[in-house]
Amino acid sequence: MSEKKDQDIQRIKELESINLATDEIRDVVVQTKMQVEKDNELLAQRNNKDLKQFNVKSIDIVGAIGAGKTAIIEKIVELLADKYRILVICGDITTRVDADRIQAYNAETIQINTGRECALNAYHIHQIITNRDLNNYDLLFIENVGNLICPSDFTLGTDKRITVVSTTEGEWVIEKHPMLFKMSDIAVINKIDLADRLGTNIQKMIDDAKEINPQIEVITTSAKTGKNIEELIKLLGL
Amino acid sequence: MRDKLNELEKYVKETYMDITKILNLMIEILDKNIRGLKIENYIGDYPTFMEPVILGDKVKIGDDVLIGPKVYIGSNSEIEDYVEISNSIIFDNVKIGINSKINNCIIMKDSKLNFANSSFNDSILKGKAESVEDLEIIPL
Repeated sequence: MSEKKDQDIQRIKELESINLATDEIRDVVVQTKMQVEKDNELLAQRNNKDLKQFNVKSIDIVGAIGAGKTAIIEKIVELLADKYRILVICGDITTRVDADRIQAYNAETIQINTGRECALNAYHIHQIITNRDLNNYDLLFIENVGNLICPSDFTLGTDKRITVVSTTEGEWVIEKHPMLFKMSDIAVINKIDLADRLGTNIQKMIDDAKEINPQIEVITTSAKTGKNIEELIKLLGL
Repeated sequence: MRDKLNELEKYVKETYMDITKILNLMIEILDKNIRGLKIENYIGDYPTFMEPVILGDKVKIGDDVLIGPKVYIGSNSEIEDYVEISNSIIFDNVKIGINSKINNCIIMKDSKLNFANSSFNDSILKGKAESVEDLEIIPL
């Protein structure tokens, strides 16, 4: 394949739309996209097997920027650092801000700066866990890149996936992002301390999550006040 | 870390390399000396960095590059598009050609991999090469 064609395919893959492919390369783009999805799924299964082999429990946390993912992890780590040896992988486009915050609560952290990629994928996690001695950890949290769209394209191989939304995002946020809730085990509705002031209809958010995925557990929290964080830990089986 | 890198560079320049000594020092540097993210002075777009990664000054990085975990890249090196590097020490002024995959390697100072679509594991790489055949490859 010519270098030009190769670059065209790569560019369209990045844009994540096969509709932009010309007829000449459409088949290759579709096949590549399908293969990438399949490879990610296989690698995710392998990650889970590797983590289980070392008895490491694993949780992927997704949600929009500002929903409170980092604050929730801080609270959980604060409560569990004496009980478990915790590793936290933080995905961000750039900076080490979140990893530095969490590290202050006695968890080991690894930052992944994804550059232009809007989600972590199974290969990132595979590369991290094959380069670490998993004997040193009991619990792995993965804080995904902040948004409610891209992470639905890539499973990572964790035991559980949590999606965090907050009352500040509006009561339609769950209804508008069904994919992530379909593939999550727990929906966290955070910042309930602000719900009254904002007039957010929390019951609608809970109902939406349950309608999209009847198996999903829904919990309301405030990472700021610590409300229901212990209940969330129980839901995680920790 | 600088002392350890200098020591490693001295070892790989020896006519008769002591591979065990090189391997042990490489593991020590990658496991203990390279920590966190030191990526402030690279030139380029938005690569993916998985820490730990340390870059020297003015490392030029192309499009859709994945660097880390456990990577050191020396000053003035150039990493072309779609390259992936993990568990490796790249010394100063090295060029790595488009779509190369480098894992568990040491690339010696001033080496040029002026070719595309290659994959190297567990090796010391050396030389100014226009093709894989031109490159000196010493297994680790």
